[in-house]
Amino acid sequence: MLTFKNVTKHYRLGQQTVEALKGVSGQINKGEMVALCGPSGSGKSTLLNTLGLLEMDYQGQIELAGKAYPKDPKQAAMYRRTKLGFVFQRFNLIPVMSAWENVAYPLMLNGFSLADQEKKAREILDKVGLAEYANHRPDNLSGGQQQRVAIARALVHQPEMVIADEPTASLDSHTASVVIDLMKTLGHEMGTTFIVATHDPRMALQCDRTIDLVDGQITAEAMKWAS
Amino acid sequence: MGQLIPLSLRVVFLNLQRNRRRSLLSVLIIAIAVFALTSAGGFGLYTYESLKESTARDTGHITISQPGYFEQDEEMPLENGLADADVISKALLSNKNIRGIQPRIEFNGLISNGSKSTIFIGSGVNDREFDMKGPFLDVREGKTLSSVSSSRYDPSEPEVMLGVDLAKNLKVAVGDWVTLLATTSDGALNAFDFKVRGIYSTGVPELDKRQLYLHIQSAQELLSSDKVSTLSVFLFETKLTKNVQVWVDQTLSGLDLQQAVELTPWQERAFFYAKVKDLYDRIFGIMGAVMALVVFVALFNTMTMSVTERTREIGTLSALGTYPAEIVSGFVKESGLLAFIGAMVGGLLSALLTVLLMVVDVQMPPPPGRTDGYPLSIYFSFELLMYCSAGVVVICILAAWLSARKGVRKPITEALTYV
Repeated sequence: MLTFKNVTKHYRLGQQTVEALKGVSGQINKGEMVALCGPSGSGKSTLLNTLGLLEMDYQGQIELAGKAYPKDPKQAAMYRRTKLGFVFQRFNLIPVMSAWENVAYPLMLNGFSLADQEKKAREILDKVGLAEYANHRPDNLSGGQQQRVAIARALVHQPEMVIADEPTASLDSHTASVVIDLMKTLGHEMGTTFIVATHDPRMALQCDRTIDLVDGQITAEAMKWAS
Repeated sequence: MGQLIPLSLRVVFLNLQRNRRRSLLSVLIIAIAVFALTSAGGFGLYTYESLKESTARDTGHITISQPGYFEQDEEMPLENGLADADVISKALLSNKNIRGIQPRIEFNGLISNGSKSTIFIGSGVNDREFDMKGPFLDVREGKTLSSVSSSRYDPSEPEVMLGVDLAKNLKVAVGDWVTLLATTSDGALNAFDFKVRGIYSTGVPELDKRQLYLHIQSAQELLSSDKVSTLSVFLFETKLTKNVQVWVDQTLSGLDLQQAVELTPWQERAFFYAKVKDLYDRIFGIMGAVMALVVFVALFNTMTMSVTERTREIGTLSALGTYPAEIVSGFVKESGLLAFIGAMVGGLLSALLTVLLMVVDVQMPPPPGRTDGYPLSIYFSFELLMYCSAGVVVICILAAWLSARKGVRKPITEALTYV
């Protein structure tokens, strides 16, 4: 379970200080798929990055499975590689690596043997329907295929939580629905929590619940879910 | 983690292939730098070796003399000479590293062809000394001095070898007779006639105008003395000089000599060698520094471009939990690989040039103060190549480290949105 209490985040924009998150609190259960929704500038990406430990400079408490998030950058990196997975809007695959090597990367970071890396990577690529594309480089894959590889990469090391930032924004509607289904199915199958920042109402509808943010605060309607 | 190395190395190699032209250019710059340094250094090594051998063969690897012989002038010829030359020679010849021991008498006087006289600088030597000089004596006409033990040597016709310009000045040729006039060790004047056996060049115009060689026995007779100026110890290998010097010193201390002796290794008499080496060392040092700077700037530029282009990728890797040091290490490996390939190509080019210069005769102009040019050669030194390669690898790693370090310091969220 992920809990966050009074999370506040300030940005400096020139001479001004912008309060991107104004003491947001909430709770996300294990295996739950939650959408962070809101207009641009509402703070959903900031909250997502903070919950994904990509932003360290915040105030408040965040705990995953009862353990507080680390504050030290090196410990945070270790935390990300072991407990978190990431899916990005523009897929962010490593262009020089094949699909299975991209998927195997988190396993490499976690010290798996080369044989295990390849085995597990190919297994999960099979699950996302890309077994035959395992040796393809990202530039030989379509956008939907790349995002499926990215989902496989996010899940291969069985993290506790996957952070997905606009995962369908670069995809057409059909591909987007395939990706949404895949995330939901695999998330539930593996018991992995998904937090998805999205503008896409189809995506939000597919999630177990949504958290709406406006001006750095969780709106009242969403609060009933969050608390 | 050991099994992960192949993938990480493969990624390094693949990353270099992303922009092949840029990688190729970097390799080329490194190769040119290594080629220039190893070739110039190889030329320097060849020059050092040649000058070292030339000096050692001219003066002997170790010179035995009276203490202070080279610092003080003699009022009378052989005043500071060695009296125990035979005893010393016999004692030292037992060492198998010693090729020979040659006595020398250095003196001066007047030389005349009957109608014209001029000053000479004479060296009384054994005929065997010319064998030890090898290719470092350029005999232009005639031959070197005959062996006095040979049946063909006629004591009634003492021989002399003249410097090429001295012979020209006196208008004498091989077979002509000249008269040498010198002061004896007692202060009297003495003169003998000598037959010109050969004409040679030292390569130094000032010496060619004045220098001559004659048998040591003739010099002793002319100077009315049985002393010699110095004993030159010639070794089979120049690198053994220091060890043999220690042995000679110990051996001579055990002899009951009439006078104290001093040992001077060839380095202390190799003024030209020392000055050339000093000059070349500085030139190559500056050249090396310039090359290092060029390589650094080129590689820093390459790696900075690479880091900038891959900013979003760095952000992704960081988000996935890669430590900054691991990301920097990837760039360092790429740079190291470029340096390694460049150094190998540079070394190969240098080796090819060495072989080419063995086949093709390229003549260098005469150095200042000398009359003859010399063939351009370079020594291919693995040691030098290793030093140059290690140098460029360190420079490239430094360049990569500096540029990558800047890249990984960018906040992850900023790096992820970099376009």
